[in-house]
Amino acid sequence: MMRFALSLARREFVRFIRQPQRVVGSIGQPLLFWAFLGAGLTPSFNPPGMEGMTYLEYFYPGVLMMLILFASIFSTITVIEDRDQGFLQGVLVAPVPRLSIVVGKVGGAAAIAMFQALILLIAAPFIGLMPGIGGSLMVVAALALTSLGFAGLGFSIAWTMKSTAGFHAIMMVFLFPLWLLSGALFPMNNVPAWLDFVMTINPVTHALNVVRGPFYEAPGALFSSGEWLTSLAVLLAWVVLVLWLSVKRVNKREMGAKPSAATA
Amino acid sequence: MIDIEHLKHIYPGSRRQPARTAIHDLSMTVGDGSFCILSGPNGSGKSTLFRILCGLAAPSAGRVRVAGHDMATDAAEVRRIMGVVFQSPAVDKHLSVGENIALHASLYGIRGTELQERMADALSWTDLKDRLGDRVETLSGGLARQVELAKCLLTRPRVLLLDEPTTGLDPASRWSFLTVLRRVQRERGMTVLMTSHVFGEAEDADSVAIMRDGRLIAHDTPAGLRARVGQEVLVIQTRDAEALRPRLAETLGLAVGRYGDELRVDDLPPAEVPRIVEKALNAHRADIQSIAVKQPTLEDVFIHITGKRPAEAGAASDAGGADAKARREGAPA
Repeated sequence: MMRFALSLARREFVRFIRQPQRVVGSIGQPLLFWAFLGAGLTPSFNPPGMEGMTYLEYFYPGVLMMLILFASIFSTITVIEDRDQGFLQGVLVAPVPRLSIVVGKVGGAAAIAMFQALILLIAAPFIGLMPGIGGSLMVVAALALTSLGFAGLGFSIAWTMKSTAGFHAIMMVFLFPLWLLSGALFPMNNVPAWLDFVMTINPVTHALNVVRGPFYEAPGALFSSGEWLTSLAVLLAWVVLVLWLSVKRVNKREMGAKPSAATA
Repeated sequence: MIDIEHLKHIYPGSRRQPARTAIHDLSMTVGDGSFCILSGPNGSGKSTLFRILCGLAAPSAGRVRVAGHDMATDAAEVRRIMGVVFQSPAVDKHLSVGENIALHASLYGIRGTELQERMADALSWTDLKDRLGDRVETLSGGLARQVELAKCLLTRPRVLLLDEPTTGLDPASRWSFLTVLRRVQRERGMTVLMTSHVFGEAEDADSVAIMRDGRLIAHDTPAGLRARVGQEVLVIQTRDAEALRPRLAETLGLAVGRYGDELRVDDLPPAEVPRIVEKALNAHRADIQSIAVKQPTLEDVFIHITGKRPAEAGAASDAGGADAKARREGAPA
């Protein structure tokens, strides 16, 4: 099973590397956001309890999330073209477990996202974020889970779509706001109650908490923090849910309508 | 090898669109090791049938068995022994020829030395030997098709389905694609079902199935199909086919069918052919642009069997009768 998935994931990665525009585009955009917003908002950024933190630093985990969001989406969007007239047709008629199609495609997309996130992690020490070995590993693991979450979400949406244009619409009104309202851009302190509610039920908020934690606190402290563990549970649940949904979608065959008494 | 029983497929309706029946009670069998061409006008249900056969769609009713395995319950088993060449390319154009083939092979669990051997074997009959490292996007249409065929044959399928595989190829590429396919099919005793619009491709097949309006209206050997039209056909081109048809029928005392701006007399009595041509020319010289007597090709059969709308089939007396007879013979019980 895993062998099929690995073959498919490797294909995703090779395709990505061979399209340099994609590499440049998906790393470049978050970097520009980070640099511009960081520079522009740092002077006015002064939320209670975060004295001394520059916006550049506050926004950093959010930029990692954004990068992962875009990388996952750009990878899973290929599902739409591939499924009805392309490579995936051949995969669907091959004797391959449906689960490995999902794991291969989602895993490949997540690997691409991780590859870019790791490049951006090089910047962490320069803004004073230096977690220890354990903390660094936890950051990487948290980013990997987030990648699976976003890639799985993108996959399960893309699978049912007929056109990439439709997917772009969904991205702008659903996926991007998920990131926007995750605490990536602004902290949750003192926001209106409705916004607080939306941000609390947003799984990306929790993913961001899980990523942000190890930058500031020791692993031991995090594993005894109820808040962080809750966020971790939400993140895990999100990943499992989107993977399950994806497998369910792939398993679904186009069904003929049952003949009614009149037409039979 | 492929058994289709009372297959029916209805596309579910939506608010704006009523449900549409694409396949009505279709039954047919493709024998082990035979080469069958499936043809029919656009919208006849070929593509729907193809999607059901390769397991991408589940029918509304009826049963499909491949090598005894039921497609509905045993799809995994069928996938192992089946290869599919789709109409739209199913190769990744960003990967090289070798990478595409290796990736496809890995989906069928073929790797290592076995892969090397099979790859060498599969490439021996293609023109891809020197292009293994090239990306598929740099290949010509004909070569890209060969990659597709090579990767499907590499898995040694017992059953191969192809959906209009030669669409978009020039005649030379088309010919070489089919020659290779036919040779490998014979060598391996593979069962092949291929949809096609090009009747030149069907002349060589073991059987030809023709669909129209979701029904199988004929399934026979090419010779058997030709015999339905008779040994020779008279084809007349004229400016006003509708006006000439009844007059010609009267002159000749034979049934005249109209297909577009062509008039046709099928199944000419062999001994009287010169006399018939003479009669036609004597009486209607001014109206006839061209006149030909020819042995029917499969294209003629196709026109004969499908070329009419049901309404016309009822009106045209004798030709309509022959048509209905053909449909009775071909139609599943």
